[in-house]
This record gives sequence, structure tokens and C-alpha cells, in this order.
Amino acid sequence: MTRTLMAAVLAATTALVTPAMAQERGGTMNFARYDGSRLIDPIYADRNPDIWMVGSLFDTLLRSSDDGKSIVGGLAESFEVSEDGKTVTLMLQSGLKFADGSALEADDVLFSLDRARNGDLGPWSGMLGSVSDVTADGQAITVSLSQPDPTILSMLATFNTSIVNKEVFEAAEGATDQDKSAAIFASASAGVGSGAFYMCGFEQGAAMDFCANEHHWEMGADGKPLPYLDKIHFEIIPDDATRILKLQAGEVDAVEFVPFSRVAELDADPAINMNLYPSTRIIYSPINTRETRADGSANPLNDVRVRQAVNYATNKDALIGLVLQGAGQPMTAPLMSSSTRLASKLDLYSYDMDKAMALVKEAGIEAGTKVTLTTLAGSSDDATIFAALQQMWAPLGIELVVEQVDGATRGAKNRSGEFDIHTYGWVDDVNDPSQVTGWLGYSPVRNAVGTGWESDKFNALFEASGTEMDQAARAQQYADMQKIYADAAPLLFMYETPFAVAVSTAVEGYVQTPLGANIFSRATVSK
Amino acid sequence: MAGLQYVLKRLALMIPTFVLVMIIIFLLVRLLPGDPAIAIAGDKASDADLAAIREKLGLNDPLLVQFWLFFTNTLQGDLGRSIMMRTSVSDVIIDRLPTTGFLALFAVSLSLLIAGPLAFVAALNRGKWPDTVIRTVFQVGLSMPVFYIGLILLTFLAAKLRWFPVGGSGDGFWGQMHYLFLPAMTVALYTSAIIMRNLRAAIIEVLDAEYVQFARAKGLPNRLILGRHVLRNALISTITLLGLSIGNLMSGTLVTETVFAVPGLGRLMLEAIFARDYPLIQGLTLTFAILVSIVFLLTDLFQSLLDPRMRLT
Repeated sequence: MTRTLMAAVLAATTALVTPAMAQERGGTMNFARYDGSRLIDPIYADRNPDIWMVGSLFDTLLRSSDDGKSIVGGLAESFEVSEDGKTVTLMLQSGLKFADGSALEADDVLFSLDRARNGDLGPWSGMLGSVSDVTADGQAITVSLSQPDPTILSMLATFNTSIVNKEVFEAAEGATDQDKSAAIFASASAGVGSGAFYMCGFEQGAAMDFCANEHHWEMGADGKPLPYLDKIHFEIIPDDATRILKLQAGEVDAVEFVPFSRVAELDADPAINMNLYPSTRIIYSPINTRETRADGSANPLNDVRVRQAVNYATNKDALIGLVLQGAGQPMTAPLMSSSTRLASKLDLYSYDMDKAMALVKEAGIEAGTKVTLTTLAGSSDDATIFAALQQMWAPLGIELVVEQVDGATRGAKNRSGEFDIHTYGWVDDVNDPSQVTGWLGYSPVRNAVGTGWESDKFNALFEASGTEMDQAARAQQYADMQKIYADAAPLLFMYETPFAVAVSTAVEGYVQTPLGANIFSRATVSK
Repeated sequence: MAGLQYVLKRLALMIPTFVLVMIIIFLLVRLLPGDPAIAIAGDKASDADLAAIREKLGLNDPLLVQFWLFFTNTLQGDLGRSIMMRTSVSDVIIDRLPTTGFLALFAVSLSLLIAGPLAFVAALNRGKWPDTVIRTVFQVGLSMPVFYIGLILLTFLAAKLRWFPVGGSGDGFWGQMHYLFLPAMTVALYTSAIIMRNLRAAIIEVLDAEYVQFARAKGLPNRLILGRHVLRNALISTITLLGLSIGNLMSGTLVTETVFAVPGLGRLMLEAIFARDYPLIQGLTLTFAILVSIVFLLTDLFQSLLDPRMRLT
């Protein structure tokens, strides 16, 4: 009885003191990155190493929920969409502050959203194309739309709509908006954002420091403002092997982009936690569907049966085993990863050599038909994919040859259509399927990711989905688009991969979201 | 006076070299496939965005106009703005130059420290076991790729034994010595193998020379013979080789600085090439050309000090 009572008292005492006592605060987390940030500004961030850091320095009015399936409040404590879908009203939290302690007010929101939708500035303004006006009345922000926009809440939770400090921004040196932005970034000072951290050190291409924002509005488990860490020190280490050695030597606490060939080894290390975060990353290969190649020769991949055949002949599980050491899964949604909202779950060209053989026979493919796979020079993943596909497609009579180029050349070839098929990847920037669907299938945007594939029905569905506020109807539109796309096979559908981040066992609470954003606000490093 | 004239003549000869380098690099960079606008805006950018970037960067201007702008601006000390860094190319280069300079000097010093004594030991024990051992070890060093040597050193000396940091460049003189020891040693192992072989052969040749035999016959102490007669004459060809090695070492920094995460000019060059950052590639190439030319000039000057006959050429 006494023991039970003591246990109860102990439990009660623990419950009372745990939030304050158990929550470790302070310290520095050393994080090794594969590439450095060049400009972390909501509207100019256009590379993943920039985009994925915006959320640490800035806040958005809304946020994606932890599972990525819904939208929750951020700087705005509440939000409401009007019945006609043309007005969004958001209520700002009171007492918000930027990292320098100055008040975050409605004026800053208007300034930031006007900047975000200014077509003369950053590349993301089109995402707010439906916004006709933004006004404020006290803490209430009204976003007026020219047409109903089912994506607007997701857009208000996307990095490019983050709130910047109007006063600090306008006072910055520089003649243009971009000059001011670059000057603020280079100065590495507090004040421009309200995120959990502010940038407090920067060495171009080598290192970067984030310091805790003591004025941040979000509270930790101990009832005090997040973040728990005092500081994050980023080191830029492009070489995979060196980055991992740095973790093994205890010089850093975390490394990102661990090659999948090293995952098992690090997983077995008792001093390291090997984390595989679910992502929206898909690895696929656009197929040139044009009637003729850029050099004028006949293109065998113009025949949908040949595209379907190569999809059937590709053993995705084998590829996942070879490239990802099993740490992935075959694509099941033709236009997106299975973690993206409205993703279909299809049997997307499961390995079936008989079907593949029948299709190439029907298409009249002759033995020795040459197809070129353009890959990234120096990428061991691409080299493995090529070697595997070469063998897998040989029975179809397709002689796969390789062309190795760098990223810039591959991008240029994709635009000009000077390729047969090339390796590619994608990570969503927005918590909505419209971005990836527009990229991969809507031909007016980029010729359906350079494939030259065009479907009037698909395009019409995509355009209609842009104003469809009925969720069930929109889901049906996306299901139809995915079916059309899967049947036409303008891609070699390959696999989804997680984000591989290895951290020391002293690290807790770090997360990489499915969109790739690095979340440090609840991270701790045991001393 | 003659020495000054020689230096001035050599400096004057550098001018056409630099102009030629500028023309070649300007054309080569533009022959590279890939579009800097895509490298800047990313694959997701619209065609309109790319067109606007090309216009802003002047990439739509005729090549001759672009070159003239590059040429005249460079003459005024303006290397342009880095596309990827969004800052002045000169500032970026000045920022990174000390690290690469330190690494290069450190690597050369280590090369000489390793190669010099061992070349003497090998030459003086020609055909005996010390000579065989030294030559075999260096042959292994020569036949291994630089990045592989680097990874081995990193794995054992840094990750396992933790004597040195895995990457970075360190602060202050001693900090840099500590951080850059492994990358410098990686380069030095390769460079010293070449220098050792050359110096050993030169020493053997000089040891057989008549004036050395004569010095011995005169009864001069061995230390004096080796220091004054053998080393001085054997160094002439080795210094030429060292000069050439520094040129190679500059290009070697591309790999070394990447493997060891050293934020220097070599790693920057690699990043600039991948990003199609034309102004930065041009600025870096010109910087490398200037540095190599200066090293060659110093090599010639040093040679002329050792061998007065060189001053006439």
C-alpha cells in the first residue's frame, strides 16, 4: 500500500515537474549539408537548399499539419473560406514579434503578400495568381480572389508567402527588391523574419549559423518559446563520404542526403540514428513522345505501346534493391508520390515481361532499336539505373545506350526535346497536387515535363480542377487525370524515395517534412 | 639592372598570355552545353522567366559585345557579379584565395620536406634496400588517385584516430595548419613522389659529375660537397618540375577541396561550372592563370639565381 502510494506520489510529482525538468534546452546542433544556401528569401528561394530553410527563419500565416494531409493555423490563429470560395479571412495572433523584438503587424502581412504575388519579382508569383487583393482591418486579413481557388489555403502555407518585416526590408541597402533581399541575407542579422531562428552567421558556400529567436510565438513542451536549441551551425560538405565521416568522427550531429548504399551501415552504428523521413520525392524518367527526335529521325517512343512496354519491362523492385538498397517503394500514383494529397493507388506497370513482349511485337519494334538514356555524369544511382535498364529492356529488342551529362545540360535537353529518355526527380514545394500535376502533365506549362505529350482531356480536367471547390469532385478530377496519364505513359514510372538523414543518438526532435523542409524548432542535442 | 630587365620582360610577356586566356575561357564557357538561365532559375522556371534572365545577364547580346564588355571591365578590375553568389566575383575570389593559397603553400612545403631528404637517402644508397623501399612506396603514392588517398587519410587519421578534423579550413595560422594538414598531405604525397624521383635522378647525375669527383679528390667534407655542389645543381631541374607541379596542384584543388570540404577556389570553380556561372568561371580561370604565371616567373627567377647562365635567356 505504501509502495503504491509512493509510486502514485512519485508519478504525480513527475507529471508536474516533467515538462519543465525533462525538456533539455540550449546547445548547438552541428548539421552537415550537401549544398549551401545562397539566398533564403521567401520569394527568391528557388533551389531546395534555400527553400528548405525558409521555414526556420520565417513564418507563414498557415501551416501544413504534421502528416501533410491538412492545413492548420500558423501566424494566423484562425482562418475561414467564404461559401463562394472567393474570400479567405484570417485572424492574426496578437503579440507577434519579429526576431529583433519589433511587432509583426498586418502591414507586414500586406507587404509580404503583395511582394509574393508581384510577377516582376520572384518565380513563385503564379502560385498566387488567383489573388486579386489583400486588405487588413486590425488583426483581420482578407485575401480576395478573382475566382474560387481550391489551392489557396495550401498556398498560404507555402514558403513563398512567409511574412517579412516591412520596415527592415525597406530600410535595407540596394536599389531593387532583389538587391535589398541579398543585402539582408549577406548581413546575417536578426529582424527580417519571425521564425524560430534568425541567421546570425554566413560564410558563402562554407558555413551558416542560425541563432534562437527568443521572441518566437510558438511554445515548447515546457511552456517557453521554441526553439530548444541556442544555435544551429551548418557546414557545407558536398562529398557524401566526407559528410558521413564527419558524423562518425563526432564532429557534426547530423548529415543530410545520406546515399542509400550507406544506410544499412549507418543504421547498424549504435552511435547513430539513421532516419528515413517520408517524402514527396519521386524518381522518374520523362520519355520523349514526339513523332520525331530532335535530329529528325523516327522516334520509336512516340508509340504508346513501346512506352507501356518499357514500363512493364522495368522491374521497379529490382531497381529499388539496386539503387536504394530497398529503402523505397515503386510509384503507385502516376503524377505524384503516394504521400501527396489526392494520390491514386494504382497497379502502375507492375513487372510483366510477357505483356511487355506482346506490346513491342504489336508495335513492330525491330531487334537492335537504339534508345538513348541521358543520365547525370558522376551519379552512381544513374549509372546503376542505366546498367539495370539496359539488361531489362534487351529482351524487348531495345538497345539502350547511355549519354552522360551534367545537370544544366540535362535541363537544357529536357526543354529542347533533345533526348529519348532521361533520369529526373521531383519534390513537391506545395502541399497540394496541383504543382506536380501541372509540371508533369499539363502541356502548356512545360510540354508535360519536356515529353511533348499532350492530352486535351487532361488539360481540360486540370484547368477545371483549378477552380473546383467541391473536394469530392476535385478528387475525381485528379483520379481521372492520373488514369489518363498512366495509360499514356509519358514517363518511365520508377520509385519514391525517403529523405535519408543520419543523426547522432544525442539528437532528438529534428524532422524533415515530406516537402523537404528542415524543422529544427523542436530539435535538441543532449549535452 | 639586367635582372630587373629580365623581370620586366617576363611581366610584359604575361600580358598576351592573359589576353589569350581571356579569349579562350570566354569562348570555352559559352561552348559548354546547358543554359545559365536554367542553372539560375531551376528546371521549374517558365520560358518567360528564362528569357528575362538571359536578357538581364546580357546573354542575348552578340558574342563580340559580350566579350568586349568582359574584356574592358576586367581591365578596370571589375570581374562582374557572380550569378550564383549574387555578389562581386572579385570579392568572392579575394575571400577564398587565402585558403587555397595556404593549402598550396602547405602542400608544396610538405612535398619538399618529404621528397628532399628521401631523395638524398635514395640517391646516396643507389641500388640498395633503402633506395628500393623509398622508390616502391612513392610508386604506390603515384599510382593512387588523389581523392582515394584523401579518403584513406580521412578515414584513419581523422575519423578513426581523430588526430585531425574531417573537413573545413580552420581559423588563424595554427587552426589552418591543423585543418589543412590532411588535404595538404594528400596533395603532397602525390607531388612529392614526382619530385623525389626527379631529385633522386638529378642527385645521382650530379654525384657522377667530374666537378664533384674533383671536390672529393680535394678532400672537401662530404656535407659541403652535398650542400654546395650537389644540391644546388640537382635543384635546377627540380625547381622547374616544382613550378609545373604547382600548376597541376591548382587544378588538383578542385578534387582535394571538394573531398576535404575546404572552402577554397578549387571547390568554388567546380560549383561555378555546375551552375554555369560564366562571370565566376571566367574570374577564377583568370585568377588561376595569374597565379600560375607568377609561380612560373618565380621559378625562372629562382633558377637564374642557382644557374647564372639562365639570366642570358
